[in-house]
Amino acid sequence: MSLPVERPEPPRSAPGVHPKRGWSFSPRSDRESGDAVVANFLLHWFPAKVSKASLDWNYSFWLGTVSAALLLLLVLSGMPLLFLYVPSVERAYASVKDIEYVVAFGSWIRSVHRLSAHLMVAVVVLHLARVFLTGAYKNGVGRGQRRPLNWVLGVAMLIVTLFLSFTGYLLPWDQLAYWAVTVGTNIASSIPGVGATLRELLLGGRAIEQATLIRFYVLHVIALPGALGILFLYHMWRIRKDGGLARADRATLLEASAAVVPTPTKTYTLLGLARGTSPQIRATALERPETTVNAVPDLVRRAAIVILGTIAVIGILAVAIHSPLEEPANPLVTPNPAKAPWYFLWLQEIVTDTTIHIGSFTINGAFIGGVLLPGLLIGLLTFWPWLDRSGRAATGVWFARDRRLQNWVFLGLCLVVVVFTLIGTFCRGPYWNFYWPWETWPEIPGRI
Amino acid sequence: MEKRTDSPYPRRDRPVLALVGVALVIGTALFAWSDRQHDWRYYQYEFRRQVTEKFGAEKAATVPAGIQQLWVPELRRADRCITCHQATAWKGFESADEPFRTHPVEPLRSHPVEKFGCTPCHAGQGWAIDSDAAHGQVAHWEEPLLGSDLGEAYTLAATDKGAMLQINCNACHRYDRETAGMSEINLAKKLVQEKGCRACHVINGRGGSIGPDLTYVGDKAPEQYDYSRLSGQMTAFAWHVAHLKDPRALVQETVMPNFHLSTRDSQALAMLILSWRKTSLASSYVPGTPRSDPQTPEEAAEEQRMATGPGAWFVKTGCFVCHSISALGVRSPAQIGPDLSTAVEDVQSRFGRTLDDFLREPTGTMSVVLSRQIILTPEQKAVAIGKLREAFQEHLRQKEAGAKTPATPVGSH
Repeated sequence: MSLPVERPEPPRSAPGVHPKRGWSFSPRSDRESGDAVVANFLLHWFPAKVSKASLDWNYSFWLGTVSAALLLLLVLSGMPLLFLYVPSVERAYASVKDIEYVVAFGSWIRSVHRLSAHLMVAVVVLHLARVFLTGAYKNGVGRGQRRPLNWVLGVAMLIVTLFLSFTGYLLPWDQLAYWAVTVGTNIASSIPGVGATLRELLLGGRAIEQATLIRFYVLHVIALPGALGILFLYHMWRIRKDGGLARADRATLLEASAAVVPTPTKTYTLLGLARGTSPQIRATALERPETTVNAVPDLVRRAAIVILGTIAVIGILAVAIHSPLEEPANPLVTPNPAKAPWYFLWLQEIVTDTTIHIGSFTINGAFIGGVLLPGLLIGLLTFWPWLDRSGRAATGVWFARDRRLQNWVFLGLCLVVVVFTLIGTFCRGPYWNFYWPWETWPEIPGRI
Repeated sequence: MEKRTDSPYPRRDRPVLALVGVALVIGTALFAWSDRQHDWRYYQYEFRRQVTEKFGAEKAATVPAGIQQLWVPELRRADRCITCHQATAWKGFESADEPFRTHPVEPLRSHPVEKFGCTPCHAGQGWAIDSDAAHGQVAHWEEPLLGSDLGEAYTLAATDKGAMLQINCNACHRYDRETAGMSEINLAKKLVQEKGCRACHVINGRGGSIGPDLTYVGDKAPEQYDYSRLSGQMTAFAWHVAHLKDPRALVQETVMPNFHLSTRDSQALAMLILSWRKTSLASSYVPGTPRSDPQTPEEAAEEQRMATGPGAWFVKTGCFVCHSISALGVRSPAQIGPDLSTAVEDVQSRFGRTLDDFLREPTGTMSVVLSRQIILTPEQKAVAIGKLREAFQEHLRQKEAGAKTPATPVGSH
């Protein structure tokens, strides 16, 4: 006969830790949903609960997520290219030809990389426009918010994105690459005083040669992606610290007058309003079931739609659109017209329009169009959050009445940039002469 | 039991996510399919079928599958033409249609494919594996295939419509007066002599200065010609043909006379002109390129004098490689060993042995040299001793005459 063995109770998990290992995409309770964010490292950058308003398709258009997805695609498609591309003047062009013709799926991989790069420039600009038009760079109700800082980070990321694209332009070492970089760096050289030195620093000499190629290559594959990665992480961190999208703030503000329903638990106040966010705000709108949903799975599902959707669109487009590769770079033959990358074409257009010939005397527009104007615009963009004097109610709302004038001015400037870009892209032919898109350019002669 | 807050999103978003999933599957299928869409797959299938028909399945199994290339490291060319043109090295397809035709054997004898590849002669884009791109009939490729299609496009007057190929032959053969198989270029070179083009033009570095230097005129960019008076194709080749026929019709102020050349003559000359380009070929590819470092007349005379003079025996035997024999006018290129003019005396003072004794049983370096590099029979050694005695006598005679010896002994054993 044996005495009944006293079984020890199974160890209870620490408070806040889900007893099951892992997590579920279809949590049975809010608690399980919140645990997913704790349990999964990748979901850490989401809050446990998120306001319905910030999930809306037509508020943010998810442009930030799209650009992050494009960045992911660029990194993924860039990896195989790193193994295949040879950054040498003698072999770069041939290695790109090999990627195009004989590497398995090489042409598709290169197209994915190129399309994502071009699209990323466009989407990042659109994202910036969205943030401007909704006044999302403004601090709302949360204490400790630093949304202007995040806006500045965003402007920095735009510039890094442009440079990433521009440095990638040179790598195939074809005529397009060579002359686009020639135009781009000649603009840099028009800065009074330091221009020539700056160009020499960029090129590693006075001509586009091996020294330039290796500089652009290292910038393209190490320095700039590293910088963008760090800025990106900081950008995401700031969004969490600032309490999510600016629109969530606004929802709080508007509903603060509603009756405060005491909530029984504080477990899920992970929304991330940092540094002494007043409990009244938490207790009012943000916690209310009708204004928020669980991040897992609702936010995760939408993020998956956007990221996978971007991947699908690029993947299909890359089958249809092949990346061009022109003749090998030839410093002796200038293609006519020689154009900068499309996102700089508005500048090239302004440069030509501000270049004035009076008899034999020429006023070079490169300084105005290439340096002064973009410098001024970037400066204004950077410091705009401190120049904007509109009220808090204008935060996170499209075309707020307070910000009507600045929004119109911003849109006007955008329109000018778009029009000049379109003219530069579609209406400029040989000798930078104007042609309507339906007009044919004069035939370009061949050798044989 | 805790419950999950109701959410409207699953109902709305799940179908969208499903659609995205479908799009991803379609995208994957599309890109896998697009990679299969290359015409070489058909041509390889068809060639295999033809080989099976002609020679049986066993032979057909030896036909390589997949992308093929000829890699010529010296020319840095990877020519993938043989991916489709698989029959080039096969016998029995001489009259088949391209790309299933055997390559003529004759030109390949002197131009083996391992050393030349395809595109150095035929032009086109060797990297490419699709026919349009490979034949260079695409934007951004300036070296189209020099085949009969091109010849027909220009209505070549030559009997061989593929004669444009000779432009590339002349990249290597430009200094030949006449080359077998290059009918049009040979004709053009003859015309250059007959019409006296060099009276006005520099060609291959020689000629007059009235007209422009034509040595590298083939490199002139097509955009640099004035096509305003040219009708028809806007190419440098067409420009030259028209210009040669009637120079003043294209360039009104020109002083170049009208030679009333026939169509064939002008086309041949235009080919020759376009072939005058800078090339970065290894000299082994260019016939007639000197591959030696020629001697100056003085150097040749000196060598002749040493080989026939009184010291000729020492030159012939190879002693002069290390030793000068200044008394006999032999100067060593290396001068590693002592001058042998005084060997009779010198051996005695260095080794304490007579010259005869030393040569019979040499020690040190000479024992190695005389046992491996220069092996002398006893008779030859006797000759050597005799010659060295003569040299010493001559040395003494010269010394007495107060004549200076031209070389001083260098080094020692």
